[in-house]
Amino acid sequence: MKRNDPKFGQLGYSDSEILNHMVKRGASRRQVMGWMMAAGATATAAGTVFGTASEAWANTPKRGGKLIFAGDQHGPNDTLDPALFTSAVDYFRGRMFYGSLTRLTDSLGYEPELAEEVLSNDNATVWTFKLRKGVEWHDGKSFTADDVIYSMNRHMGADSVSNASSLVSMIDAWEKVNDHEVRAVLSSPNADLPIALGTFHFKILQDGTTDFSTAVGTGPYRVKEFKPGVRAVGVPFENYWGEGGYLDELEHYGIGDSVSRLNAFLAGDVDAMANLPPKAIDQVTGTAGRDVWSLKAGAYINIAPRLDMGGNNSSNAHVWKAMQLLQDRERLVRGVLKGQGSLGNDQPINAAYFDYCADLPQRELDPEKAKWHWDQTDIGSTAVPVVAAEVAPGAVEQCLFMQREAQKVGINFDVKKVTTDGYWGAVWLVEPIAVASWNMRPTANIMMTLAFAPSAAWNETRWENEQFEQLLVEVRGVTDPDQRRQMYCDLQTMIHEENGQALPAHRNYVDAVADHVGGLTHVPLNNFGGAEAPVSIYRKDA
Amino acid sequence: MWSLILKRIGIGLITVVAVSLIIFIGTKILPGDAAQIRLGQNATPENVAAFRERLGLDQPLYIQYLSWLWDFVRGDLGHSLASDVPITNLIADRYLNTVYVSVLTAAIGVPVSLALGIMAAMFPGSLYDRVLTFVSVSLVAAPEFFTATLLVLIFVFSLGIGNAVVVGSAEGKGLFQLIAHFALPIATLSFVIASQLIRMSRAAVLNVMSSPYIEMAILKGVPRRRIILRHALLNAIGPIVNVVALNLAYLVTGVIVVEVYFGYPGLATLIVQGVQTRDFILIQGLGMIFCLTYVILMLIADIAAFASNPRLRHPK
Repeated sequence: MKRNDPKFGQLGYSDSEILNHMVKRGASRRQVMGWMMAAGATATAAGTVFGTASEAWANTPKRGGKLIFAGDQHGPNDTLDPALFTSAVDYFRGRMFYGSLTRLTDSLGYEPELAEEVLSNDNATVWTFKLRKGVEWHDGKSFTADDVIYSMNRHMGADSVSNASSLVSMIDAWEKVNDHEVRAVLSSPNADLPIALGTFHFKILQDGTTDFSTAVGTGPYRVKEFKPGVRAVGVPFENYWGEGGYLDELEHYGIGDSVSRLNAFLAGDVDAMANLPPKAIDQVTGTAGRDVWSLKAGAYINIAPRLDMGGNNSSNAHVWKAMQLLQDRERLVRGVLKGQGSLGNDQPINAAYFDYCADLPQRELDPEKAKWHWDQTDIGSTAVPVVAAEVAPGAVEQCLFMQREAQKVGINFDVKKVTTDGYWGAVWLVEPIAVASWNMRPTANIMMTLAFAPSAAWNETRWENEQFEQLLVEVRGVTDPDQRRQMYCDLQTMIHEENGQALPAHRNYVDAVADHVGGLTHVPLNNFGGAEAPVSIYRKDA
Repeated sequence: MWSLILKRIGIGLITVVAVSLIIFIGTKILPGDAAQIRLGQNATPENVAAFRERLGLDQPLYIQYLSWLWDFVRGDLGHSLASDVPITNLIADRYLNTVYVSVLTAAIGVPVSLALGIMAAMFPGSLYDRVLTFVSVSLVAAPEFFTATLLVLIFVFSLGIGNAVVVGSAEGKGLFQLIAHFALPIATLSFVIASQLIRMSRAAVLNVMSSPYIEMAILKGVPRRRIILRHALLNAIGPIVNVVALNLAYLVTGVIVVEVYFGYPGLATLIVQGVQTRDFILIQGLGMIFCLTYVILMLIADIAAFASNPRLRHPK
């Protein structure tokens, strides 16, 4: 069942979970349709959904054949060191060769992988991982607790070069209990830890690994060839402990140019492509045997003004309020993203997250009100610079649309377009007003901790709110659902009202895949089903 | 002759050193540094500092330059800043990939275009000459991505033959399989070099044809074909060889558009990726390799010109 597939937008998080279980346990068409229509769906919609759901479960994977998946940017910085992963190509390759303690599900829960059982104490400050026995490394050695301790310690400490160390910064120490059990001791509660450990960078390495020219992992494929910026080829690992790794060969590389990537996909040279340009969506759906592989996600684009610049605070607030009111959100989602996205509401959490607060009213385009705010400042018709780069579809357009709406009421923005090369180092977090593009994170808490907490390194607007940070830490230990929901609503409201950034649109991950590929995943954290697809994909025609 | 060649080699070496200095300074002027680029959006001051120290980016510039040049002389291009892999490893494969395509292109494109150009010189002003001139001038004007797109549209999408991307391994393929595998990039590149080669060989031969000794031969009644092949061509070899060498150097170093278009993992794509990741060491190494390729090819062209033309060996 494609749980994050926008085609089935009428199903909520819990609905799709229930449906999935019903079909998995062999519910009949009548039962499913009855349940869905009781939940308010039309008969046709219910029929379609049942069809897709049962088709997904009826297809048992076939072994054999070869598939080629083409990502976008790759290069000499491609790596097999999980701590240094930076790109979607890295994440996908990591999933081919390595395993992790937990694996994320399509609804952003987790299921055990190398950890057979995950337990915590009552306030989520000590986590115990009982490790799977009988797991073998690609070189024949046995998987033990030492491997986990070694892998996890690479993300710890101030001198860690890990790109994900902030996700585990609340862990004080990893302790080995015995050969098949490890324990993480936390300095503050974190109920979402097993979800964080299911993300890209926490792949488990063999104890003592320092050479990353090849990968010795526990994953379903082992390395046949790996050349940075050229390609990675995996062949099945005969002694893989789990289900998966169905192909005789899985090849993965990047094609940087989006037109070439599309050509290669349409011509059949590759079986799937990442980041389908919105303009090409109709072309792909109109081609027989090719389909869009889209994930409804919480990724977003935004324009962030720095609140610590530009004079007094009350004047600043009028500026950013005007910017938020000048966003033509509808047009951005329909026109630029071709419907593959959803309206942003100036806060990062949307319906793709478990903790989304639906009560927040949608902010809309209102040039008159923006004008009123602008008149409270002394800027007048002086052009305000906004720096933009093509970091994601819509990133530049959001500024241009704002500029156009602003002009109509006598507000001037000077949109400076710069190249994406070096953007994150030289422009982002430096310029007074700049754009950014964010991937979705596994939980609302992780997203807010990374980019909205006053102490966060990536707090783009330099927003300071003590109450926000306290609440953000407190909610991690809350287990009562109602209380948790209320607290997350408060957090989202605070960002919506006070943070200052304009966040006009969330974008889906839009890839394309050939019809003969089965076993697609839909984890909404990245391209190719959250880079989780390598384990389960197979050729239907094998 | 030997002193001339030694002098050329000396000039070549000076060029290489000068270029090395320009490359080094140029890569240092670029904004941002490798640690920052490597960590991307995920950079925090702490892990950037840790990375910088690991990569030796905290040392003075002249020390970085001298140690780099010395390593280069010894054949060690250093480790990629971005991935910690030896640069020679990164380049070796891709050099081979690029050489495959350029050698195949040269083997097919050069003889064909020279023959076409010389034939045009045999019959200047004829219909054949005018059509060829028109076609080759049009091809010069068409950018590579246009030619490539056109070829992909015609062959891949209309006729269903050839590959829209050329990423797959070339290992274990015979000559004809290789040509089929690389057909579209080779065709695109051949069009690019052909137009220039045709124009230049035609002009070079015609230029010699207007000199007094050819007039003499015509007056003595030597057949036109014999005049061109026996008398004029040898004197025209100098400029033609130079153009061929320049085009070969272009095939190794300048095929960025074609490689990127076909997603082909050659040297040009590597330098694009190097620039994107701010991999200074990689860019420097590639710059030097490109420079050496040019210098060596031009040296060979000069020597060939000396060998074919005694007058160049004994300048007045």
